[in-house]
Amino acid sequence: MIGWVAGLRPASAQQVTDTATLNATFSGLARLTFSSSTLSFPDADPDFVPDIAASQGPVSITAKARTAPNGAVTLTVQASDNLRSGLDTIPASSITWTASGPGFVAGTLSAASPQLVASWIDSGVHTGTQTFSFKNLWTYPTGIYTLMMMFTLTAA
Amino acid sequence: MMKAVWSGVAVVAAMGFMAAPAQAQTTASASLSVTATVSAKAKLTLSAASISFADADPDTTPSIAAAAVDVDVKARTSGSGSVTLTVLAGGDLVSGGPSIPVSNLTWTSSGGGFQNGTSNKTVAQSVGSWTGSGNQSGAQTYALANSWTYATGTYTVTLNYTLTAP
Repeated sequence: MIGWVAGLRPASAQQVTDTATLNATFSGLARLTFSSSTLSFPDADPDFVPDIAASQGPVSITAKARTAPNGAVTLTVQASDNLRSGLDTIPASSITWTASGPGFVAGTLSAASPQLVASWIDSGVHTGTQTFSFKNLWTYPTGIYTLMMMFTLTAA
Repeated sequence: MMKAVWSGVAVVAAMGFMAAPAQAQTTASASLSVTATVSAKAKLTLSAASISFADADPDTTPSIAAAAVDVDVKARTSGSGSVTLTVLAGGDLVSGGPSIPVSNLTWTSSGGGFQNGTSNKTVAQSVGSWTGSGNQSGAQTYALANSWTYATGTYTVTLNYTLTAP
């Protein structure tokens, strides 16, 4: 946004003085986009596929942020709940990810607290990928399990 | 006069921008929907494909033991699903014409959920039962009753195991 101030006085016979100040205001902004809005983990034999990769493959993430000089920009994710299928549950921590791209880090999903996905300093556009996998165990009850992953991009 | 009025409007507009300072912290949110499919499956592993009973004197060895067979059960079922392992003999022990009733073949078990039993050629006998998904490990040790009445020969029978996870 651009604002300006102009102080103008009535003209006199001898002298006219005008001043104008140009102010450009850039407020904090943050924008987050993903290449996919869903993740699916198909069924597999735990003996042959102990970690199931998401059908969608790596998820591309673009994080755009405006912040103060040296301001911290962080991207976190938190599960809405454990994986749930009726009364049966699988811990959200059974989902992990590896990451690529500057600032992105690998991690383990949690329903209890936000987990760091990436962090940067200063304004800019950042891109990277997360490759999710689901730990496959014989002990899971059968079912179709779901949860939501909530991502938050914060520009301090 | 017009100039003074215009000047006043400009100042008010500028103050409006300044009254909306940049936020101390800005956030953006997005969500991903996650689905994981877990289907029923069962897997049974026996440590040996065959067991053998050595010949012995019935007076000194009334029951001949074979080496223990390790049994590994893996099953996925519903939270309250019943997992069962049974064994059914393919017939009596036979050696050409002569036969020995398969009921002379018994077993003892170790491991949670595993049971002792007697072989049967018509009704599947329970080897183990459990509730819910998981891995179960145990062992069966077969014993063959040794009798003077048996005709000489090498007797065989096939034992068919069935693991069920609904």
